[in-house]
Amino acid sequence: MTETPTEDGGAQPETEDPTESGRPSVLVPLAVLEGESLPNGTPELLASAHVVLLGYHVIPEQTAAEQAREQFGETAMSKLGEFADRLAAAGSDVETRLVFTHDEGTTVDRLIYEHDCLAVLVPNSTERVESVLVALRGTVGVGRNTRLVAGLFSESDVEVTLYHALNEGESIADGESFLNGVRADLVERGMAPDRIEVVVEDADAAVDAIAGHGESHDAVVMGETDPSVTTFVFGMPSEQVAERFLGPVLVVQRERPEE
Amino acid sequence: MDDPDGSGDPDGSGDSVDSDASGPGIVGPAADVDVPDALADVVDADTGEGELERTIGLTGGLAIGIGTMIGAGIFVFPGLAAENAGPAASLSFAIGAVVALLVALPTSELATAMPRSGGGYFFISRGLGTAPGAIVGLGLWLGLVFASAFYLVGLGSYAGQVFLEAGIALPVDPAVPLGVAFGVGLTALSLFGTENTASLQNGIVTVLLVILTLFLSYGSLDALGVFGTESTPERFFPPGGLLPVLQTAALVFTSYLGFAQVATVAGDIKDPSRNLPLAMVASVLVVGVFYVVTVFVATSAFGSARLGEFGETAMVEVAREFIGFPGAIAIVIAGLLATFSSANASILSASRAVYAVSRDDLIPAAASRINLRYGTPHVALGLAGGPIVVLAATGQVELLAEVASFLHLVMYGLICVALIRLRRERPDWYTPSFRCPAGLVVAGVGAFASFALIAFMQPASIAIGSVVMTLSYVWYRYYAIDVDLEGDF
Repeated sequence: MTETPTEDGGAQPETEDPTESGRPSVLVPLAVLEGESLPNGTPELLASAHVVLLGYHVIPEQTAAEQAREQFGETAMSKLGEFADRLAAAGSDVETRLVFTHDEGTTVDRLIYEHDCLAVLVPNSTERVESVLVALRGTVGVGRNTRLVAGLFSESDVEVTLYHALNEGESIADGESFLNGVRADLVERGMAPDRIEVVVEDADAAVDAIAGHGESHDAVVMGETDPSVTTFVFGMPSEQVAERFLGPVLVVQRERPEE
Repeated sequence: MDDPDGSGDPDGSGDSVDSDASGPGIVGPAADVDVPDALADVVDADTGEGELERTIGLTGGLAIGIGTMIGAGIFVFPGLAAENAGPAASLSFAIGAVVALLVALPTSELATAMPRSGGGYFFISRGLGTAPGAIVGLGLWLGLVFASAFYLVGLGSYAGQVFLEAGIALPVDPAVPLGVAFGVGLTALSLFGTENTASLQNGIVTVLLVILTLFLSYGSLDALGVFGTESTPERFFPPGGLLPVLQTAALVFTSYLGFAQVATVAGDIKDPSRNLPLAMVASVLVVGVFYVVTVFVATSAFGSARLGEFGETAMVEVAREFIGFPGAIAIVIAGLLATFSSANASILSASRAVYAVSRDDLIPAAASRINLRYGTPHVALGLAGGPIVVLAATGQVELLAEVASFLHLVMYGLICVALIRLRRERPDWYTPSFRCPAGLVVAGVGAFASFALIAFMQPASIAIGSVVMTLSYVWYRYYAIDVDLEGDF
C-alpha cells in the first residue's frame, strides 16, 4: 500500500473523539464514480477539520452491491486516495470510507452517526476562503454551530458573518442579542472579535435571503432543516441554498440520539 | 495439461483456504451473536475496495419472497391443479409447503453462515465442492429462466383476459405473444431502468395481499354456507387416489420457488442473522396458507373439471361466480400484478445467478460486467432475458413449470446435503448465527422429500431437467475443472 494519511474506516476506537480534540468532524460525500471530484477550495475550507471523506456509488436494485464493488472498487479507492491526499496536504486529518449502496441517504445517515459528524459538506467549489456566512435560526442546537465555526476558522483569518432572519414575534433587538451571545461564545472559543460581523434582518423567505447574502461570501454554514424529516443532507432548504449559492455549504447536523 | 494445473493449483487454493479460515476464526469468538449483527460485520469488513450498504429490511425480504411466489400458486395453477387432483389439490399445495419449509430452515442456517449474494449456489459450491456447485449454479440460472418463462405465459394469460373482459375478440389466443412481449419489456426495463423496483415490489405485494384476503375471506364464508347456499363438496380425493395428488404437488411446487430468492440477495439484507430466516420461513407460511385456501374456495365454486377448462385464468371465473363482474376485474388486476412481480423478480434472480457463477470463474468473467452508465449487469441480464423470451414463446405452461421445479428441487436437496456435511465436519469458517432446530433430521427429510418429489413429474420434464444438469456438468469438465471453491470465501 502506498503511503497515505488515510486511516482504515473499520472499527475506530473511541479513545480520541475528534470533536473533543478541537477538530470538528465534517462529512464530505462524493459520488466518486460519477466523476464528482473534490471541488476547489474544499481543502482550504476544511484545513482544520477532521474530514470523513465518503466516496459512494449508487447502484440500481437489480445489481448486487458486491458485483459493483468487485468491478469498480479499486478505481474508486484510488480516486478517493488522491482526494484524501489533497485534503491532508492542506492540513486536515482525513478518514476515507468507500460505500457501494442502493440508497445514498441511508449511507450518509449511517456515517454521520458512526463518525459523530458535526456537519456535512455540500461539495461545491469556491476560489478562495476569506469570508463565511453563518446562518442561525435560533438558540436550539446553536452550540454545534459555534463549535464547528470556531473549530474550522479560529486559527485562520477567515471573516465570519453571523446572520439571523427574524422569526415571527421577534424584534431586531432580540435578534441582535441572540447573535451577540453567539459571537461571545465564538470569541471565547478563540475567534478574534474583529473578524465577526453580525447581521439581523426581517426577511420573508429565509432561504432566498441566505442564498442572496451568500453571494458576497465564499461559503455558507447553516443548520439542518426539519428534525421530523429523516436527516438527509440533501434535505430541502440547504439544498436550495446550495443550488442558488453555487458555493460550498456546510450543513450542521442536529445532535444524534444515542443508538 | 495436467502438470501446470496440477502443480499450481493445490498451492494456491491451499493458501487461500488457510488464510481465509483464520480470518473469521479470529473474529468469531470475539464477536458473539448479538447486536449489532456480528455476521454482517464480518462479511462487510472493508477489504480495501469499499464497503457494502445493506438496504433491504425484513419487509423488503418478505416482499421478495412473497412477491416471487404468489403469482403462480394463486393465479396460474388452481385450474390446472384441480383438473388433475380435484379438491385434494389443496393437499398438493400443503405438501409443497411442507417440502418448502423443510428446505427453508436449512437454507436459513446456511444463509446466516454465508450471507452472500448467490444463495443456494454459493452454499453448495462452498459446502460440497465445485462440481455440484457448477451443476447447481448453471442449473439455477436455467431453472430461473424456465420459471420466468412460465410466469410470463401466466402474465400473458391475464393480459389476454383484459381483452376478453373488455369484449374485444381476438383471432388467436394472445397469452403467448403477450408473454413474449412482456419478457422483452421487462428485460429492457431491468437493463435501463433506475426506478426503485424494491419499493414498487413492496407496494404490489401489499395490494395483492389485501385483494386476496378480502376475496378469500368472502369465498370461504360462502363456501362454508355462512351466506348463500353451502356448496356440495365433491369427493375429496381424485379417482387415482394419492398418486395424482403427489403428481400435482410436483407440478405446483413452482409456486414455492421464491423463498430461496431471499437468500440470493443475502448480501444486501440488513441484520441478516435475524431477517433472513424470518423472511424465508414466514413467506413460505404466508403463501402456503393462501394457496390452500384458494384451492378450497375455487373447488367449492366449480367442479374440478370445469375449473380445468378455465385453464390459467380459472380464478377470474371463480371471482365472477362469487362477486360478479367487479370481482372478476379485481382478480384480473391482482393476477397481472402478481405474475408481473414474479416474472420480474425471477429475471433479476437469474441475472444474479449468472453473476454468482461468473464471479467464481465457472463461466467467463465478461458475463458479470456492469455497464457503468446504467449500473446494471447487461450481459447477465441478456443471458437471462434472451432464453426466457424464447422459452415463453413455446407456451408450454406445465412443462416450463416442472422443469423449473426440477432444477430447483435438485438444488434444494443438495442444500440439505450441504447442511448435513457442514454440521458433521464443522469447518472453522462455519459459524451460522441461526441454527435450524433438529437440523440433521430436518435436512435429511428435506433432501429426501426434494428428490422424491422429482420422481412424480412428467417424463418429459425429468428428461429436459436431466439434460440441463448433464450439460452443466460437461461444461464444468470442459471449462472449470481447475476451479476449487470448497470452503473458499
